[in-house]
Parts: sequence; C-alpha cells; structure tokens
Amino acid sequence: METMIVTGAGSGIGAALTRRLLDENYHVSAWDTDPGDLAGANDENLDFCELDVRDADAMSAAVAGAVGKTGKIAGLATCAAIFHTRPFLDVTEDEWDSHLSINLKGTLLACQAVLPQMLEQKSGSILLFASSIARRGAAESAAYAATKGGVLGLGRAIALDHARAGIRANILSPGITDTPQPRGNMSEDALYDWADNIPLGRIGMPEDMLGTALFLLSDEASFVTGQDIRVNGGASLF
Amino acid sequence: MGEKQNILITGAASGIGRASALRMAKSHHVIVADRDGDGAGTVTSEIVAAGGTATAIAVDVSDGASVRAMKAQIESNIGPVLSAFFAAGIFIRGVTGEIPEADWDRMMDIHVKGTFLCCQAVIPDMIAANKGAIVNMSSDFAVMAVPGAAAYMAAKSAIYSLTKSIALEFAPQNIRANALGPGPIDTPILKSGRTEAEYAKAREAFAENLPIGRLGQPEEVAAVLDFLLSERSAYMTGQIIHPNGGQLMW
Repeated sequence: METMIVTGAGSGIGAALTRRLLDENYHVSAWDTDPGDLAGANDENLDFCELDVRDADAMSAAVAGAVGKTGKIAGLATCAAIFHTRPFLDVTEDEWDSHLSINLKGTLLACQAVLPQMLEQKSGSILLFASSIARRGAAESAAYAATKGGVLGLGRAIALDHARAGIRANILSPGITDTPQPRGNMSEDALYDWADNIPLGRIGMPEDMLGTALFLLSDEASFVTGQDIRVNGGASLF
Repeated sequence: MGEKQNILITGAASGIGRASALRMAKSHHVIVADRDGDGAGTVTSEIVAAGGTATAIAVDVSDGASVRAMKAQIESNIGPVLSAFFAAGIFIRGVTGEIPEADWDRMMDIHVKGTFLCCQAVIPDMIAANKGAIVNMSSDFAVMAVPGAAAYMAAKSAIYSLTKSIALEFAPQNIRANALGPGPIDTPILKSGRTEAEYAKAREAFAENLPIGRLGQPEEVAAVLDFLLSERSAYMTGQIIHPNGGQLMW
C-alpha cells in the first residue's frame, strides 16, 4: 500500500478526493485544520492530521508518519485554500496576507515537506489545485485570483525542477464547483444559476474533478507534467 | 471503462493512432481507419490476435466523398459511432518563405479539412444519441513555435480552434470535444524527413532538452486519449491536454 497526501481534506474537493483515494486502496494522510466532512470517518487507511499548511514542521512530521506506515508517498494533492470575495479597494492587508499564506505559500510548504521523500524514492506525482479564475479573473476576487495564478507558476516550476528526478507536477483548475468555498460567497440559487453560463449546462460537483485528479496522480499520466488541466464544463477554453 | 462502444480512430495504422487503437480495443470495438489500408489491416489483425474486435477501413480524410463512404460503411456494418479520435496527420518540413503551395494545401487538407470532415461525419450519430466524445489531434505546436514548421503549426492551431468551436456548439447535445497536444513522441511523424542517423541524433537531443529527460512513447499518449474519451473526463470539454514531458507549459 502507498500513501497519498491531501491538503484541505476536510471539505469540498479535498474531502471527495480523500474518500475516492481510500476506495482506490491508498493509505491517505489527510491534512486540514478541522476534520470537517471526514469527522467520524472510520477507515483504517485514513490518517487525519490536524494541521495548518502554514506550519512546515507539522507537515514534515506528518510525512514522516506516513512514510513510517507505508514506506512510500505516491502523491500529494494540494486542495487547501480560502476564498473571500471583496471589492478591490476594500481588500485589507490582513486578508491579502491570509490568502497568500494559505493558498500559495501553504502550497509551496506542503510540496517542500513531501519532496525530500519523493526525491529519495525517485518517484511521485504532485497535483496542485488552481482555479479557472487564475486565467479568467473574477470580480471582487483579487487576492484569490493572484494566489491561483501563483499556483500555476509554482506548479510549472516544480515540474521543471524535479522532472529528471522522476517526479511529475500538474495543476487541476476547476470551474465553479459546489463546495463550501463558493457557498461562502453566494447563495445556493446564485451558485446554481451559474449553470446558464456553462456549455455543459451545469456547475461542477466535487466528484467531477476526481477522474482527472486520479488520472494525473497516477502513472497513466507518465508523460504529462507541468500542465494545467481545466475541468470546467467548457466554461473557459484557455 | 464503461460499456463497449464503437470507437473510430483515423490515422490508426501507425504511431499514436495505432497505439490508441490497440489500447482502446481492449474494451471496445475499434474502427481502424487509415489512408494506408494494408497498414489498417495489419493493426486490425493485431487486435484480433489479442482477443479484441476491430474493422479496418481505407480512407482519405482530405476527401469528403471518401469520408462519407467510410461513414456509410460503418453505419451499415457496425452501427453508430459515439466516440472518435481523429489522429490522421503528416509532416512536411518547410521554411515559410519557400513552402510550395501544393505542400501547404496538402497539410491543410489532411489536418484541418480532414478533421472537419470526420467530425461532421460522426456528430449526427452523437446528436441522435445525445452523447458523444471527440478527441482531435493537435500538438504542442498549436501554442509554441519552431522554425521550419509553419504549415504544421498553422494546421495544429486550426485543429485546436476547431475543437473549441465544436465543444461550444454541441455541449447542449452532451457531446464533448477535446484536443490532444503531444510533444515529441517516438513515432513515424517525428522520424519523417530524417535519416536513421539523423533520427538517432534527434532522439538524443530531445532526451537532453525535454525536462523529463526522454522521448515520449505512443502508449503514453494513448493513455491520455483513453482518459479523454472516458467518463473520467465527463466535465471536460474544449480543452487541450499536452503529454509532452514538460516541453510546453501554459
């Protein structure tokens, strides 16, 4: 059995991915500040680690724990992120800093926590979650958009820096998806009204992201690295 | 994955088309279409020998009559096509200022018009079924550039744009269209126009320059094709995926 690590595992896409990886017979080291949807999940292959992606030491310890258990980290999926909409001129420095430190630096630190083990293995697949907002932008979303654009750059850099070591890094950019993240910013009606703007006629569900996530994390994607795969129902074609 | 379908693959006698035909035939009926009818027959025999089922068809994708004849043959002998990969392509090297008009036309006819005609041929089946998946063969060169490949780059960019247009137009009918944008893959197209010695040298250069440190294999592209035709990518349309060893990231 091999370990997959998921950040932001307590809710939304991270929680759905964690459950799917357990179904696929991985040991999952699930990281979040709160167990959320995973509270009460009873699976011997699930290790929930209550930690903050801003805490590098905690993440290194969690990696060591996982390695002690299975000996191998097959992959890392970074889902942890916050998203608070705010008119541009009202964005406070604190809000800016919290987006940057969780969404972008937290992603870097999680990758840094996992990479030494992957380098030793000479294998591993990293999947960073960005967003269609990284390319399209969105009103009242400056901090979030900046962090997700940053994730694109970070993902490509990791791919380039570690390709020769047998490590792949890719990005998945979901379109609007029914998770707590957009629900924090809009009503359920407004969320589902977005379907009118999506060629496939519906907003995404967390499960819509999992086929792509598992594909990119697996050896099936052995020649795919540094790519940003957009899973958005056709809402954005670049 | 999923129920057994009829999958049409053009350019299936060699390279990525062939690898895709062999892979998809493990769980589907594959229509192995190629200008090289004998080559299509050989791939079909390989599939049958491995326990699968396939039908070989000789087709010139640049010729509307030939594409329509292929579709008619499939319709009467096999059934509807709800899943298709249009991979037929050639490479003619040429510095922009010196490309003969005939070469340009041939590149556009086979790649762009061929993809267009093939999509037009299968979409009615998909509309009738309210379901379909198309993958068109583009390239890293839809986005990035190299010298001496103007016609190829223009053709592959056109295929990417055509794919997006089909994705938008037919999303309401639950038809998805995506593109594959491979980087350097060990195939006859990569070798074309090079002697054995030149190709050996080119392979070394690719291995050295690609971030991943090696040339891609057709089977690695076939794995991405399988993903794009499957329900695993059910929420993806109008996108391009680049199995390219990190050659291009955007």
